Amino acid sequence: MAPLQKRALYSLVIGLVLTIILVAVLVTQGDITAFDRNLNLRLIMYAVFIGVPLINLILMDISLRKPTQLDERDRLIMERSSKTQWLAVIFSLVAWTITLTEIYRNQGQVPIAFLNLIFVSTLIISTLAQSIGILLGYWSMNRNG
Amino acid sequence: MGKIKNRIRRLRFDHNEMTQEELANRAGCTRQTIIALEQGKYVPSIELAFRVARAFGAPLEEVFLYAEENNEIDNPTLPLPKQ
Repeated sequence: MAPLQKRALYSLVIGLVLTIILVAVLVTQGDITAFDRNLNLRLIMYAVFIGVPLINLILMDISLRKPTQLDERDRLIMERSSKTQWLAVIFSLVAWTITLTEIYRNQGQVPIAFLNLIFVSTLIISTLAQSIGILLGYWSMNRNG
Repeated sequence: MGKIKNRIRRLRFDHNEMTQEELANRAGCTRQTIIALEQGKYVPSIELAFRVARAFGAPLEEVFLYAEENNEIDNPTLPLPKQ
């Protein structure tokens, strides 16, 4: 397994764990207003805001500087994975926009907690999609060349 | 349609069974890329092709071959066809 492939796998696992935690928090707290009421939840959310890009930077960039760890083939796969990432982010934002517009149309306003939720979900989806794109890239290249 | 082939496996054998890891270190790429090259699953950039050839101390055309469909070239030392 190539070093980038390994890191994509780690990143995928981290992304899935964060998704499970986020869903579990929302289910146990009842609704989105829990983030307004609970400072600890907001602090965890802010930690995720900083932590996810930082972990991504360390896994996908800083730790892969040597040419024997990341070469032109890996870079090609990484470039291709950005298309998957871009599509996933766009679709998630479209889903958020349509859902929130339809649910809160009559009220004329959306609870502010959704801003945090939209951002954290976009971060997680972006990380997951990049990892999936990289893993698919290796699979496709090993299969079709 | 043409296809880029290579003799990396053969050249590694000729160079004292050079390991894929060693070749990767000399050529400045990952071992997985060497595996993909040997299996014909990846066509390298010109730069990497030169680095691989240099790792064997051989000219580029001795390592990489351009084989056209139905006109496979197995021996790069064959003379060019007469015009």
